[in-house]
Amino acid sequence: MELLEIKGLTKVFDNKEILTNVNLKISRGKIIGLLGKNGVGKTTLIKLINDLLTPTKGEILINGNRPGIESKKVISYLPERTYLNKQMKVSEIIQYFKEFYENFDSEKAAKLLKDLNLDMNQKLSKMSKGMQEKVQLVLVMSRNADLYILDEPLGGVDPATRDYILDTILSNFNEKASLIISTHLISDIERILDEVIFIDKGKIVLQSEADKLRNKENASIDEIFRRKFKC
Amino acid sequence: MLTKLLKYDLKYMIKNMSVFYIFSIFFAITTRILFSVKQTVIIDIIGQISVGTMFSMLASVLINTLMRSWIRFRDSIYKDEAYLTHTLPVTKKDIYNSKFLQTLIFFIVGFVVIVLSLLIVYYTKDRWIALKTMINSITSGLNINAVLFVLSMIGIIFLEIFNAIQSGFFGIILGHKKNNNKIGYSVLFGFLEYMISQTMVLILMFIVGLFDGNIMELFKNNNILLNSNTLKLIIILTTILYLLIIYFMSVICKKELDKGVNIE
Repeated sequence: MELLEIKGLTKVFDNKEILTNVNLKISRGKIIGLLGKNGVGKTTLIKLINDLLTPTKGEILINGNRPGIESKKVISYLPERTYLNKQMKVSEIIQYFKEFYENFDSEKAAKLLKDLNLDMNQKLSKMSKGMQEKVQLVLVMSRNADLYILDEPLGGVDPATRDYILDTILSNFNEKASLIISTHLISDIERILDEVIFIDKGKIVLQSEADKLRNKENASIDEIFRRKFKC
Repeated sequence: MLTKLLKYDLKYMIKNMSVFYIFSIFFAITTRILFSVKQTVIIDIIGQISVGTMFSMLASVLINTLMRSWIRFRDSIYKDEAYLTHTLPVTKKDIYNSKFLQTLIFFIVGFVVIVLSLLIVYYTKDRWIALKTMINSITSGLNINAVLFVLSMIGIIFLEIFNAIQSGFFGIILGHKKNNNKIGYSVLFGFLEYMISQTMVLILMFIVGLFDGNIMELFKNNNILLNSNTLKLIIILTTILYLLIIYFMSVICKKELDKGVNIE
């Protein structure tokens, strides 16, 4: 059984098709780059997988289950915005995650927070946006999930921290899990990708293993992306 | 999972509401002290300000409980916080029940604070006896137990408030199914649902009136003298009708939530 299977997925907003007949299969043990320009449907696809949007047509299956309690137990999702209650301290949020997610590892979270110089006793409202994003990343990567979905995880952080985050991602997810990472910063993540998915105008235009694509086109993923989506 | 959700919802509300509770009680005590010392013009003025502030705090307790419940509901389910709410391994039913129970608990707490504040300011043995005598004279004339009468009146007021709260929840759920002007539609749908539920209570009472002459008198005459049986029937009917409406509306709200959300 595939970890994630999407069949004929269509999403219409305001009479406009944001996603059109998307078909996708994601197996275990892969790091997949979901790549595309702004507004082509990457976040919509991710939100549909996470039950934050309702499909107009089609089906999403995670471990054979439609989005719901069972899928939420195994998906660890990092949205592209800050979403935590800012009145809470980091330690309270850790406790919150521990209570709701059986697979949350609070010791791992404490270690990652320490590495990123984040104070457990600080309130989120007292933190910068970048720091809040780091806290969110720590929370997501501290779960022993089957599928990690990161929507623009590098956007708000400085280049020095990006490397740490990518190393954190690599060293914190197990080989039975998969990770979907959506970003514009292709060159930054290229080194960790096993597979790439190019999305344009609401359609999957390419799904390939990263190495195969590089060999075929004799160029980096970043270059291929630039060529393909040149304005 | 409901208990866990409720715990965090209660924590959020207590952080926001405790200031109103504390100030209500504080100004009640201040008013009591000022009213009980020897009156001078200045003490009288301060006392009036104090009692005015206390009443505005009591009003704030009610208004804030209502408004914050709706805002909390909207923020948790449709705003940024929804990214967390809807990715927790919990059912939509639990999310809804948690919000509803949180509101219910805080209305009860608010009611206790209001009664307590009023007792602090106005309680004297004479006033208490006068109040009891007044209630007894009403209830003995109607041949109804005084305690039961007071409790059922409080119960109906609470049911009426919960109906209003749920109308708000219903409005928010339907309003957020629209693509534009979600707040406007939320208010519109909430108001319509509230008016429809009130009309339903009236229609159902009228239907009962077709089989009970005393109830029908309510619709025919403005100045009627209620007898004990009619009053009891009205209390029982109103309670049942509100409970039914609240129950069915909560089922509809949960079903609508279960159909899925669209978070911006």
